[in-house]
Amino acid sequence: MTASSTPAMVELQGVAKRYGEVNALHRVDLSIAKGEFVTLLGPSGSGKTTLLNLIAGMITPSSGRIVIDGRDATTLPTNKRGLGMVFQNYALMPHMTVFENIAFPLEVRRLSKAEIQRKVGEALELIQLGHVANRKPRELSGGQQQRISLARCIVYNPALILMDEPLGALDKKLREQMQLEIKRLHAELGITMLYVTHDQDEALTMSDRIVLMNGGRIEQQGTPDTLYFRPETVFSAEFIGSSNLIPGTVEIGADGSHALNTALGRFDAPAPERAIKAGEPAVLLVRPENMTLTDAATPASVAGHIEDSILLGGVVRHFVRCADGSSLIIQELNQPGRSGAHRGDAVRAAWQPQHGRLLPPAPAG
Amino acid sequence: MAQSSSASDLSPWTALLLLAPLTAVMLLILIYPLGLTVWTSLYNGRFSFDAYVELASSTLFLRVLRNTFEIAIGGTLVSLIVGYPVALHLAAQPPRRRTAYLIMVMLPFWTSILVKSFALVAVFGNQGLINQFLGFVSGGTLNVPMMFNRVGVILGMINFLLPFMILSILGSLLALDRRLILAAETMGAGPLRIFWKITLPLSLPGVLAGVLINVTLSIGMYITPALLGGRQDMMVANLVDFYTRQTLDWTAASATAVALLILSGLLVALLGKVRGSAGLAGAGA
Ligand SMILES: Nc1ncnc2c1ncn2[C@@H]1O[C@H](COP(=O)(O)OP(=O)(O)OP(=O)(O)O)[C@@H](O)[C@H]1O
Ligand SMILES: [Mg+2]
Repeated sequence: MTASSTPAMVELQGVAKRYGEVNALHRVDLSIAKGEFVTLLGPSGSGKTTLLNLIAGMITPSSGRIVIDGRDATTLPTNKRGLGMVFQNYALMPHMTVFENIAFPLEVRRLSKAEIQRKVGEALELIQLGHVANRKPRELSGGQQQRISLARCIVYNPALILMDEPLGALDKKLREQMQLEIKRLHAELGITMLYVTHDQDEALTMSDRIVLMNGGRIEQQGTPDTLYFRPETVFSAEFIGSSNLIPGTVEIGADGSHALNTALGRFDAPAPERAIKAGEPAVLLVRPENMTLTDAATPASVAGHIEDSILLGGVVRHFVRCADGSSLIIQELNQPGRSGAHRGDAVRAAWQPQHGRLLPPAPAG
Repeated sequence: MAQSSSASDLSPWTALLLLAPLTAVMLLILIYPLGLTVWTSLYNGRFSFDAYVELASSTLFLRVLRNTFEIAIGGTLVSLIVGYPVALHLAAQPPRRRTAYLIMVMLPFWTSILVKSFALVAVFGNQGLINQFLGFVSGGTLNVPMMFNRVGVILGMINFLLPFMILSILGSLLALDRRLILAAETMGAGPLRIFWKITLPLSLPGVLAGVLINVTLSIGMYITPALLGGRQDMMVANLVDFYTRQTLDWTAASATAVALLILSGLLVALLGKVRGSAGLAGAGA
């Protein structure tokens, strides 16, 4: 996709990993362009860490080829791959000072003492922690430790940095601060980053491209916008953002116009990107922010009554129970003088047909 | 160190009651005989330090003391050099196999030290397996004396010291976070650098605990030097035996025993200092 314009930093060709009976990763093809910020997003056990560790060389693939920076790295030992990695638990050497920790990869590269001094100083400057150089890691806060482990990674300028949920152990505020810091470093240094998270907000904030994983496979990949506005599967739609999903069967008119017959009525919808035959089951996705509460019976609308309304600062979320027992979420901007909808009120949830999206039904099980 | 003592929740009386049996046993088998020994070393018809003054000027005692420290430190060093690689290998094994290997490490404890000593003679003695083999390949000219001298004492001792060394180093190695090694590998470090810069320094608490236990155990060795050493390899415990059973000089024997106690105490304290902030509890897994 994005990789076609610039040369690839990492190229996975049919890479799979089995642990005995467990298929941790099915044949995966993935290409990461130089300088790109790619996020692996997915639920627990979907194979994110496995994919990262395969690239890092900590595990070897059961089949397939891994190319890093144009070089076949499938069986190359970890210490010859020339990449950087930031761990969730920081993995700082407890017996070394902050300075010694950051100097370690430079000593491996046999830099001169003076050069090490200079580079470590610069790296500490970059993360604004110059004053802790002589402390041991255990004398630092979690956020500081994670910044040190970042510094230890960028100090030797690896072409590729892998991060496995690096912010997982930090509280929300610190996490957001660190997200911006990592983004800033990425922009300043132009390093290729492969970042693992199971937090969709983090993925949306940080990435050039999101690779959504599900059960050891790539479910969908694309820019944050693509994944949010043009999910291709029910799984993608549900994992990123919240969604209203109405099941039904597809009806295709003589002019090619699509509609879905559902328990709540017949709704027009744009033709899906991947064709679904007439009479086949499908799901209509409408994002909550594309729905409004009305009294008028527009064609694309569903009757129901308000079960609950919650205020989320700038927006209000209404939960509407429909006639068939299913429930819809409607999200509206919270404006002063907003007509108050009350619990139990009979309403209609309406949307523009062009905001609907037909998806193939979720596979059973 | 990490575990907080839940005993602090107990009332002082309950704590005292729980400690009473142990205190009674310790009083009976440790404090009383020790007190008696100290008393005997100081009181011989009248109260004096004569026994100690004599000891300090006795060339026999000083020579035996030097032997003792040389043998204890030598044995400990050999045990460390042999034991560290074993611990390293054990730490790399999957848990089930490690348990099987650990049983083998503990095997020497299943036989009496007497039997083991004679078995060592059968292997290392002048007519032992090794010398028979050496004699065979050299046409009868080669015979390396390995028993009834210092080599014999140290061979006999490490047989007993090794499990302690291996277990305490293994504890440290198992506590080592594997992700540190992985991190070092991603940074490009090779196995040798990882060993010197990460594995070894982080296993130091275990090494020091092992050394401490080994030195303490070997300073008081009695049977091994008696069975496998030569006349030149008498250790302090053998000297005590010599005074009590050969010359029947109980005052000298007691003074020697007390001197040994004090010297080992000092050595332990010294090693404890070297260990720095890492407490004994921090050494275990
Ligand atoms: N060493 C292993 N032996 C057997 N199965 C494994 C091993 N490592 C991972 N797996 C399995 O492979 C699958 C993928 O695991 P992986 O660690 O890649 O998931 P993940 O996406 O990183 O999840 P999380 O978000 O929880 O970290 C899981 O089903 C896991 O149980
Ligand atoms: Mg993981």
